[in-house]
Order: sequence, then C-alpha cells, then structure tokens
Amino acid sequence: MKIVFDHIIPEPLKEYPHAADSLWNNKHVIENGQKVLINAASGKGKTTFTHLLAGLRHDFQGELSFNFVAIHNFSILDWLEIRQTKFSFVFQDLQLFPTLSSEENLLINTRLKGGMPIDKLKEWAAYLGIETKWNTPAGIMSMGQQQRLAILRALSQPFETIVMDEPFSHLDEHNTRLAISLIEERCKELSAGLILTTLDPTDKISVDKEIKL
Amino acid sequence: MLKKLLFRNQDKKQLGIAAIGALLGMTFLITSAHFLYRINEFGEGSEVLGANILIVQRKVTSASTLNLSNNDFTAEEISEIQQQPFVEKVQAVKSNNFRVWLETNSDIVPPFKTDAFIQSIDKEFLDANASNWSWSPESKELPIIMPRDFVVMLNTFMSSSGIAQISDEVATSIPFKLRISGPKGEEWLNARIIGFTNEISALLVPMEFMNYANLKYGENQDGKITQVIIKGKEGQFGSLEKYLNEKGLEPKKAQMIVGRLKSIISMLIFIILVVSIVAVISSVLVLLQYMHLLLSQNRYEVKTLLRIGYSPYYIARLFVQYFSIVFAVSLIAAFGLFFILKWWINKTLQIGGIYLNEDLSVIAVIILPISFLLFVGIGTLSARKNVMQLFNK
Repeated sequence: MKIVFDHIIPEPLKEYPHAADSLWNNKHVIENGQKVLINAASGKGKTTFTHLLAGLRHDFQGELSFNFVAIHNFSILDWLEIRQTKFSFVFQDLQLFPTLSSEENLLINTRLKGGMPIDKLKEWAAYLGIETKWNTPAGIMSMGQQQRLAILRALSQPFETIVMDEPFSHLDEHNTRLAISLIEERCKELSAGLILTTLDPTDKISVDKEIKL
Repeated sequence: MLKKLLFRNQDKKQLGIAAIGALLGMTFLITSAHFLYRINEFGEGSEVLGANILIVQRKVTSASTLNLSNNDFTAEEISEIQQQPFVEKVQAVKSNNFRVWLETNSDIVPPFKTDAFIQSIDKEFLDANASNWSWSPESKELPIIMPRDFVVMLNTFMSSSGIAQISDEVATSIPFKLRISGPKGEEWLNARIIGFTNEISALLVPMEFMNYANLKYGENQDGKITQVIIKGKEGQFGSLEKYLNEKGLEPKKAQMIVGRLKSIISMLIFIILVVSIVAVISSVLVLLQYMHLLLSQNRYEVKTLLRIGYSPYYIARLFVQYFSIVFAVSLIAAFGLFFILKWWINKTLQIGGIYLNEDLSVIAVIILPISFLLFVGIGTLSARKNVMQLFNK
C-alpha cells in the first residue's frame, strides 16, 4: 500500500509550529512494504496520525491517499476492505474486548478476516508469554499482557501494512524484543510494511525510514 | 461470540417489560381489528335487499289503532315520494289476499309447517347478486326470500327437537312446499330460499307470482297498501330520513336498531383500535428505545468491532435480529391470546344473541406480517443510523 501525505495538517494541530521535516504540512510518501518509524514526543499527533490511516478522523487539510486514491473518496465498503485486509492496527488504547478471553479476542478477529489457525495463535501466545491467559478475560489482564494480546490480534489477520501506536509502552526489554521478532517474522511472511509510532527511539526494530511529527 | 459480547450484559427486566408491552398492545390491536371487521360485515352479504333501501309505513298512533286515522298509502302519495330528488325508486309493497302455508319437504330437517304472510318487491330492490328473482306459472320452483327471524325460529325448533342447527347455506338447500288457497281453490308449489333479509318480516316472492296468485286465489284484487319500499340515492340518505320524519313515515324499527347497534359497537371497537394502535406504537418505541440503550451501553464494543473491520450493516443487523426475535415472540404470544379473547368475546356476544362469523378474519392474519415488517424496517433504519454514527469514531 503506497501512502502519500500531501501537506496534511490535522485541525487540532493547525495552531502549533511544526519542524521543516515534519510529516505535517509537508509531502511524505510511504512506499509499499516500507518499514517506517514515526518518532515524536507527546502531543505531536502520533495517535492522530494512526487514526487518519484508520479512517477514524477526517478533520484535516491537505490530501491523504492510499494507492493514488484520496481517502475522502472512500466509501464504507472501501474502509471495510482497508480495515480487513490492507491495514492492521495496534491502537494506543489497544481496543480489546475486556469481557472476552484472549482466545475470544483473537477469534473475533480471525473469524471475520480468515487466516490464522488456532494452534498457530496458541503458539504465538506461548512465544509472547501469555499462553496461561488464554481463557482469561482481557479486562483483568495486566497492561503488558493486554499489549501483547493486541499485538497478537493485529498479526493474526492478513495485512499489507501493520500500523502500531506505541505498542511496547508497557513491555519490558525482553518482551519488547520478543514482540519485535514476531512482528518482523510476520511482516516478512506477508511481505508487508510496518509503521511504528514511538516515544522511545531506542525501540530495537529495523526500519527503512524515520519520519518526525 | 458477538451475541455474547453485545447482549450478555443487559437489564433483562427492562427488555421483559418492553416485550410484555408489545404483547398486550398487539393482542388488543389484533382483537379490535378482527372484531371491527366482523361487526362491519355482520348482516352484510347475507342480506339480499340492496343498499340504501328502506321499507316505510305510517307511524302507528293511538288514533290509527282505533281506526280513527288511515294508515294506507294512496297512489298520489307514492307518486309524490317518487318525485323527491333523493329518491331513486319507490314501489308499493304488495301483500297476499289469499291464505299461505309453508312446510318443509326434505329428509334432512324434521317436518315443519307454518302459516305464512307473503309480500313482493321488484328485482331492482334486491342486491345485485340475487339471481333467479322471477316466476311464471311454468316455473318448477318459486324463489322466496326469508326473514332472518325465520332461520332463528327454525333453529330453535331444530334445537328443541335435538337436531343440529342449520346455517344459511344449508337452509337455502332445503326444499319447501308452499300451499296457497282461496275461495277459488288451492295450489301446491315447490319453493326454495334464495336469500335472507332483516328488513321485512314476511316471506318475499317475485311480483309476477303475487299478481298471479292474487288474481287466481285472492278474495279481492286491490289490496290496501300499508308499506312502501324506497330506494334512496347514494349519499342522500339524510335527506330521505328528514323527509320521512316530516311526512310522519317511519322505517321498520329493526332496520334502525340493527344500524344503530352496529354503529355503536363499531365506534366502540374503533376507539379500542385507536387505543391499541397507540399502545403498539408506544411499546414498539419502548423496544426500539431499549435497543438504542443497549447500543449506547455497548458503544465501546460496537466502536471496536467497526475499527477492526466489522461492517456497520452487519452489526446493525445483529441488533435488529435480536429485537425482531423478541418482537416475533410477542407477536406469536399475542396471536395466542387473541384466540382466547376471540373465543370469549364470541361466546359473550352469542349470549346477547349476536352471532358473528367465528372464522379467523383476514385482517387479523395480515396484521402480523405487516407489524413485523414495519418493526424490522423501522428497527433497521434506527439501528443503522446509530451504528453509523460510531463508524468514524
């Protein structure tokens, strides 16, 4: 998925000054399969950026296009296709279902989009150290466990680009490393791109490009 | 799993109250619509006299009882009635000047014999569907129209004889014998009922037969005219009634009573129908309101489902399906309750002498799918609107 930001400036960020190489109010292109790090301090619009890609907000100036089609031309069906097969998201607030177990949180996604067999999901859960939480409601898991579950859910579906908004903020270094290796393995398997927003530039993930906000 | 996610954590008590509201509202709606339909058709179809027809006579007073005043109609008076702009046709009701007996001539009913009084009217006063209203001396059968009271009397007789009562249909298939006699001799004729009327208390026969029999067996040929039959023009019945009052003429009481009764009962049921519609609308609104409440209680879940790629139409459909099932259960239960109410109301009316058609009316059946489709339609629009509001959030 080729993504073009053509002088995008979200309404809430209009009044703030932006650096000359900022994504905002400049032209930036993210090529198909490219791995990009969005590194910015709090309040610079990382979540806004993620929500723009997910079609959750449309209050911006400029033009954002996916594969040369401006997103303001997208229908509901277009957005459904994007959310089901083009992008996979790890939102900053995770967006898990607290009353459903880990298994159910994963199945509710894979049943819609197809893909990952349950054995593979269990294997990944074990790899990330949350296999014992397989039948535990997400709402009573720790933030770190929930973050790993959200990463698993995003990896379990087909995608062309995975977009992750501060996905390791509650993980220790060991678990971050495990999560990164799983993400890289899955992206390689699908020849998919990766967009990672982070506060911490030391996140050990190899990227093709770094963009500032 | 989606149903577990969206419908598990809810206040079932509120759902139950909304469902009971829908059940009661629909029960009253189906029942009142059914009985409004049945009351309106009561006496129709089985009535062979056409629409807008009145049989009138002079008002009976103490003077007329003592023969101090004349109750007959003169030719001039009939002509004057005919000239009124709201009268389509008027005719003297001719009566017999000879003796008449009617008796059954069939194995399916026990022997039954009675003196009878006959009158005649022209075919144009009869309902358009009444056929074979003619007679000639060569005819094999004499068509007769029976007063409805006769069937009631016949059924009373059958009942007291321990025999099953007969319907209108069966009555029309029973052959009768009519014996007429006068100073000049007597004659037996085969007769068959072709219809019933609430308007006249005498047996009705075609005018040709009355002329023939009066001439052949009558004691005097020119009988007195005490009743006239009037066909009013469509939509001008009020003018006719006013004219009749002014002239001291009155329609047969039974016509007025049946008309008033039907009118009062219809009005009462119509009021119940309106109240039922309001009750149904309210209960449907409560159900839909509860659906909105459930949607807003599950706002986070719905929003998240949309974010991970679930279709808003699919999610709206889940809500509509869930509440449609609740409404369908209420409808089925309402239909069951309606059957119990229908049985009870019919029995109560029968005690009062009103025999309505006990079959399920078309309207009672049609209301079910129409209500359900309306609910699904309105529910779908409403759910979609609510879910779509969360699509870009």
